[in-house]
Amino acid sequence: MGLTSLLFAALLNFPVTYYRLPNGLKVVVSESHTSPTVTVAVYYGVGFRIEPKGQTGFAHLFEHMMFQGSANVKKLEHARIIESVGGNTNGSTRLDYTNYYQTLPAEAVETALWLEADRMRSLDVSEENLKNQQNVVSEEVRVNVLNQPYQFFEWLDLWQNANTNWFNAHNFYGDLRDIEAAKIDDVRQFFKTYYAPNNAVLVVVGDVEADAVRKMIEKHFGDIPLQSVPERPDVAEAKQAAEKRVKQTDKLASLPAFAFGYHLPDQESADFAPAVLLDLILQGDDSSRLYQRLVKEKEISLDWAGGINFELGNQFDYDGPMLLAARTTYKAGHTGEEILKEVDEVIKEVQEHGVTKKELADAKVRFRANYYDQVESTQGRANLLASFALFRDDPSRINKIAAKFDAVTAAQVQEVARKYLVPDNRTSIDRVPEVTK
Amino acid sequence: MILNVLFAAAAAVTTPPPPAPARPITWPAVTESKLDNGLTVILAPLHNVPKVTLELAFLSGRGSGGVAQLAGRVALEGTATRTSKEIKEELRSIGGSLGADVDRDNTSLSGSALAEFAPKLLEIVADVVRNPSYPAGEVDLAKTNFAGEIEEQRSSPEFVASEQMAKAIFGSHPYAITVPEPAAVAKITREQLKAFAAANYLPNNAFLVVVGDFEPKAMSASIEKSFGSWKRGTLAAAKKIDPPKRQKRAITFIDRPGSVQSTIVIGALAPPRSSADYLALRTASMIYGGAFYSRLTRNVREAKGYSYSPFSSADLRRVAGTFTAEASVRNEVTGPTILEILYELDRMRVAPITDEELASAKTLSVGSMQLELETQAGLTGRIATIYIYNLKHDFLQTFREGINKLTAADIQRAAVRYFDTYRGAIVVVGDYAQVGAQVAPFGDVTVVK
Repeated sequence: MGLTSLLFAALLNFPVTYYRLPNGLKVVVSESHTSPTVTVAVYYGVGFRIEPKGQTGFAHLFEHMMFQGSANVKKLEHARIIESVGGNTNGSTRLDYTNYYQTLPAEAVETALWLEADRMRSLDVSEENLKNQQNVVSEEVRVNVLNQPYQFFEWLDLWQNANTNWFNAHNFYGDLRDIEAAKIDDVRQFFKTYYAPNNAVLVVVGDVEADAVRKMIEKHFGDIPLQSVPERPDVAEAKQAAEKRVKQTDKLASLPAFAFGYHLPDQESADFAPAVLLDLILQGDDSSRLYQRLVKEKEISLDWAGGINFELGNQFDYDGPMLLAARTTYKAGHTGEEILKEVDEVIKEVQEHGVTKKELADAKVRFRANYYDQVESTQGRANLLASFALFRDDPSRINKIAAKFDAVTAAQVQEVARKYLVPDNRTSIDRVPEVTK
Repeated sequence: MILNVLFAAAAAVTTPPPPAPARPITWPAVTESKLDNGLTVILAPLHNVPKVTLELAFLSGRGSGGVAQLAGRVALEGTATRTSKEIKEELRSIGGSLGADVDRDNTSLSGSALAEFAPKLLEIVADVVRNPSYPAGEVDLAKTNFAGEIEEQRSSPEFVASEQMAKAIFGSHPYAITVPEPAAVAKITREQLKAFAAANYLPNNAFLVVVGDFEPKAMSASIEKSFGSWKRGTLAAAKKIDPPKRQKRAITFIDRPGSVQSTIVIGALAPPRSSADYLALRTASMIYGGAFYSRLTRNVREAKGYSYSPFSSADLRRVAGTFTAEASVRNEVTGPTILEILYELDRMRVAPITDEELASAKTLSVGSMQLELETQAGLTGRIATIYIYNLKHDFLQTFREGINKLTAADIQRAAVRYFDTYRGAIVVVGDYAQVGAQVAPFGDVTVVK
């Protein structure tokens, strides 16, 4: 493994230019010339975790507002202009950031920079456009959650049940009543509070020249005024005292499903890298211990999926309390208790006997392969660079993070299993069809 | 200069800076060769990350009854010399993944691994297609799980809608089948799977695409080593079945009590991918509902607020295809949404698109193709379509030219021909008691409970 590890460290060498404009905007530029494309992304340091109390779903509703017009760009013009130069654009709201991005042929990089600068400077939303997007977002909640079997219980419900601090424990997609109650003043206030250059990272990744891009960025973003951004609320989660088991019924599902999560150590702690590798050993692929036990040996589960920041992102693009989660659809005639019993046995084996040398070595290879997948596209690289800049003030971690994982020992993995994968630190949800067919 | 700088700092730019002139496009270098046994090999180096990605595709589609689908899936669960678990552990040790996808025209094994382990990935792929053993226990488990998955999939309204649309468009043609009935899966035998593999997993029925961080000479040698001694076989003559021609609109309502939305799909028969109409139809769909700034999104989402993501797509396969427009909407606007979708379809048919729409669609088509090819999986998939759908091998090289030649009249002609919902189908999945009456005005409705 020594050679492989060295190779990994040596091979990852994305150029990273990092600076701050006088207004506090963090800028990351990373040149790469394997494709004639570029991703331009702005990540704001506000996600659904810290949206205003009593206004569930607001951070995400606001994301839609950013496409509804600014001083020089009317509603729909952002998408029209990006598509007319051959690119695509979108935004997404996650735990600790809201991002806006476009990937386009590299010759149009300045068009995208101008569009992002205009809405950072001068968002301008009408009552009518807010009403329209409240309808659109309500339909989004219906199509992705309310009209679906399981309704994303493996993250939406699991987070609400596993956590006690409101910031981690509310409905992130949002209650329809809250979404429909939002007012135009709330939109303006949120923009003024969080959408400041000094609360954002601008990332440009792709077939461009860093020096030329810097001049464009200074021209378009340089005069956007700095704002005072409030202190982040306390999102810390108290230590869980006892195991939680939740039962749910599902009107639209035909098979039962089960999900569970354990609170994880902080990303910056020494326990984090071993926890990531432990997750891969337990459920990283079809050879993993949980898949083999539940799907292949016991034939209880139809499938198995899980991970850190499960369904929402990866191990690096968040900042705050986190769960190691899993989800499985299982066969009628079995029970959630049976699944938990098997899970506990699988984990107990690791706690008592540790993992094999081969498993650990393979987990490091698996980590490396997954990491390459995360950084392969300009958009994927932009995501990690933005996260490392926004949360750690160090985008060059994209080239250094791997070393931390290569150094993990089997003893550390075992220790992390003993410390965190205990029933008292776990919440599970057993979700069964309302009417058994 | 100083004045200029001050001015720039004092007043923001109020119009979008135009792009720099478009540069010549260098499409990825692709080489094609054939092994003596008839296996077509396509190599395309792409040195973006130290991985390789491959697809080994057989020109054998899913047919009906589920045998092809199960044969593809269980091929990965054991060979003459490897158990299921050994296959998965070997993949793990090379940072690898491998999956089988059985589609309408092809059975494809798609995989990836760290670049330094490419020979091992090829060895595993060769083993599963050359020596699948179909262990009895694995066959039984896969049958149970496949039947369970079908049941699970059918609780998704989007899945049910698309499954019904294929049935409505293709009738008795094999393209009508998305998944078999669970009861049919239970009757499949291990012998059927073995027979299917023996008759179809043959080098002269296959092509192999490899994309990624490799040196072509070494890659060719590894391919020869793993696949060179594979014996060719006799292929059964393909049966040619024409998709049915519909004379009037068919409306199918799938009753899903408790739905808080109606999932609407409106579609019509489309030509094969190799048709001369492909680029015009693809572009017509982009303007209609295939982009964010499309007519459908502007109307149904941004003006009316009926739906989150209305969209259209032209899904063209080897012998035929479908053009579909879709939207999921709250119950009370089910009828109005169908009306708007149809209105926008007819508008494309009766009046030419604007010059601005055409120019934008051309740039977007070419730009999207460049974006698609950024990743190894994107490039692999695009190359595979050329071979699966029997396209000209210079598809990528001539793509920009073909798109740029299109006129507004070409787009309108494609719309007239293929946006024909009067002889197409409408599928609605929703709560019939709540919304059935809103659907009735559009034609005769068949309700499926």
